[in-house]
Formats: sequence, structure tokens, C-alpha cells
Amino acid sequence: MLRKAARRAAAALVVLLVAAVPALGGVDQVKLRLPLKPKLPLRGNERIALAPFILVTDPEKARDKRLQNVDVQAEFHRFLKKQLEKKTKFDVIETPPDVKLPTQNLADLARAQEFWAAVGTQTSAELVVSGSLEFRVEDRSGYKTEEYQSPIDGRTYYRQVYVEQTGFVFDIVFLVLDGRTGEKLLQDEFKDFRQTGSRQRDELQGLFENLFSLENQILNTFVPRDREAERYIFTD
Amino acid sequence: MKLDRIVVLCLLIVAGACTSYSQPEKASTQIAFGTKVAKQGLWREAAFRYEQAVTKAPDNARAHNNLAVALEASGDFARALAEYKRALEIDPNNNYIRRNYARFAEFYTAYTKTTGKASGAP
Repeated sequence: MLRKAARRAAAALVVLLVAAVPALGGVDQVKLRLPLKPKLPLRGNERIALAPFILVTDPEKARDKRLQNVDVQAEFHRFLKKQLEKKTKFDVIETPPDVKLPTQNLADLARAQEFWAAVGTQTSAELVVSGSLEFRVEDRSGYKTEEYQSPIDGRTYYRQVYVEQTGFVFDIVFLVLDGRTGEKLLQDEFKDFRQTGSRQRDELQGLFENLFSLENQILNTFVPRDREAERYIFTD
Repeated sequence: MKLDRIVVLCLLIVAGACTSYSQPEKASTQIAFGTKVAKQGLWREAAFRYEQAVTKAPDNARAHNNLAVALEASGDFARALAEYKRALEIDPNNNYIRRNYARFAEFYTAYTKTTGKASGAP
């Protein structure tokens, strides 16, 4: 009888304490939606030409024969054209098939002002998009510390980035060029890693998982987007 | 007998915490109410409450932090930056405020950065 009473008392105490904790104060995590301004100040209705991208090939690629079946260039072009047409008001066109990149070096490609001006004239595009694409299998794991220096207070912060075991990596370097002058307007890198459940995971599925997770960032080059952020607020 | 005492004590603690809502002149009351509405997504109302808290207790780092978050959620980033800085000035060792500020700084840097301009752009 006494034990029963003691148990009931303990249960009542736990319930009361649980009820009392929020009322006594502390910290809560809240979610905000933050706007992201487009990286390029545009009117929003420009004519954009999608030029070929440099394909970065990994010497280890031969080891993973599955990737040889993926036409990264064609899949990326199709994805980018579809997203830009669906989510922006740009007039999106592809450069004619006879347009060949003058170099396979990204730095030189960004500097090929005459070539890009010629592409702009040929396509009547105000902007030309090119860059490099790399799609590969990555086998790594562990925590990596990344340094981040705040330009606001000049202090250095550290963040932990966990690199998973096996997965597909899609590394895109985006070049946006002025179709009139051929001048480079923007160079940006988008990188995504998707862990695969097993080595047998379909490579095309992996590629699109990478692309969908990068979609927001890619589109944010041209149009405003938003993203979710977490913050701490005090309850008293 | 002992159980009765414990129950009464717990009830007193809960009741004491709840009565804070009935004291609007206290900064902690404004913070508590602001947090309640913030969780419902009513950020402008929350910002108003936290402003009240800051007015009542200008050296309360928690109030400045909450106000910064509410201003950030309402899109007033310049003021949010000033409030985060003030909160850190008052309580530089508070990890929650430091984390908030670091995340905000990362976002704000990207937000204020605009790269390049097309020749036909406005």
C-alpha cells in the first residue's frame, strides 16, 4: 500500500515538474523563412543562352563503369532549361550545336570574352550560361572542420561538416557571361553530396537527387528565393 | 504527509511561473508573451513585445537577442544586426546568442552581396 502511494507520488511529481519546466523559462528553437536576393541584378525577362559546359572527368571514373552511361551534359542542360522556363520569366534558348567551347580550361573559358560576345550576337542572348560539370562517386567519411570568417566582425568561426561514406557528388561551376560584351558577370560553385544506401543505387537517380537539392541555389543566381533558418529565442 | 508537501510545493512553482503573464510591466513577461506569439509565426507582434522588453530592461541580453530574431524574421536585417551586436555586448559568453549571431552573419553577408551586373540590367 505504501509502495503504491510512493509510486503515485513520484508520478505526480514527474508530471508537475514537466509542466513546470516550460513555465520556468529557457530556450526554444524557432524556424524562420529568410529571403535570398538573386546574385545577379536582372530585369527578369532577359534572353538566356545555355552553352555547353566543360565536363570534368575523374581519372578514377573508369573504375566505376556505371557513370559512363550518364550523359551529364545533356541531363544538366535539360534540367536547367526546364527549371528556368518553369520558375522564371526568362527566354531560355540553347546555343546551336555547332558552338564548340574554345578551351577545356575553366579559367581560360571565363576569359574568352570575344568568343562569348560572338555567341551572344549569334543567339541574340543578353546572358550566356556555361561552366563546368563534375559528377562522381565519392568514398569518404568523417568530420571536417571548415573555417568561416565573418566580414562583419572579422572574427573566425568554425563549423563542422560531415562527409558521408559513399555517395554521388555533383560539382557545378557556373559562369554567367554578358552576351553583348562577353564579359564574365558571375562565377559560382554549387556542390552537393548525396549518400547512397548501397553501391547498387541508380546513378541517374543519384544525379537528380543532387540536382534537386541544388535547384534553389542555382535558381537564386537569377531570381529571388527563400530558405529556412533556425534561431534560438529565450522564453523569459 | 511528505507527498502533500511536495505536491503543494510543485503547484506553487507552477502557479508562480504562470502569474508572470499577469505582470505586463516586467520585461520577462513581455519576453514570455513575445515568445508565445513568435512560435505561432506572429513575428511583428513578437517584435513589438520584445521592443517593450528592451525598453523596460535595456541591459537584458535575452530581450535584445529575441528582438533581433523577430526583426530578422520580419525582414528588418539592419536592425537585427544591431540588436544581435548589442546582445553580444551585454552577454558575450552566451552560446545561444553567439550561435544566432554567427548564423545571421553568414546569411546577412550573402544577402548583401550582389555580384556582377549585365550591361542591359537595371
